Amino acid sequence: MTRSFSRTTLVAALLGLSALGAAPAFAQDAVISAAKAAGTVGEQADGYLGIKGSVSGDVRSAVDALNIKRRAAYTDLAAKRGVTVQDMAAVTGCQTLASRVSQGQIYRIGAGDWQTKGAGPIALPDYCAAAGQ
Amino acid sequence: MVRAGSGLLLAGMAGGCIQVRAPEKPIEINLNVKIQQEVVVRLQQDAKDLIQNNPELFPQ
Repeated sequence: MTRSFSRTTLVAALLGLSALGAAPAFAQDAVISAAKAAGTVGEQADGYLGIKGSVSGDVRSAVDALNIKRRAAYTDLAAKRGVTVQDMAAVTGCQTLASRVSQGQIYRIGAGDWQTKGAGPIALPDYCAAAGQ
Repeated sequence: MVRAGSGLLLAGMAGGCIQVRAPEKPIEINLNVKIQQEVVVRLQQDAKDLIQNNPELFPQ
């Protein structure tokens, strides 16, 4: 209870900040963390964040902004390694699904339904196994 | 010309052993992404570093 209250307060405070004109990255991250905890935003196997159902404009724009930053990072690395942006993103998706989704958070593999992570590890797509998680 | 060419071709076929190479078959995934195992292995460390060095892009 206390935890979710303080998180909500924090997000409200940060949203206030962004309303003042500054939209610092940490405010976006807080919005996304809160949405992940609420089960409306989750990691996808394609390396990007996805939205489940309908969310507020703040959440949507935070997700869009973060995905754009991710794509820029994937594009950079992909160019260095001579692979497609999609491949770089998907390999990163293996990592995020393997290590950055907490129990109770949602995730999605391919065009499948959103799933909630249980106590065990996520059953990753076959190609992720090559990475020897 | 034609004869010489086909002679060469025949010699090539007779002399060379038939190579059966395992195709590097792309793995079909339900993302509709085709990604090769070799690519996954090669990029894994980059992906890990990316996440570690840019935690703000991967908020939990």
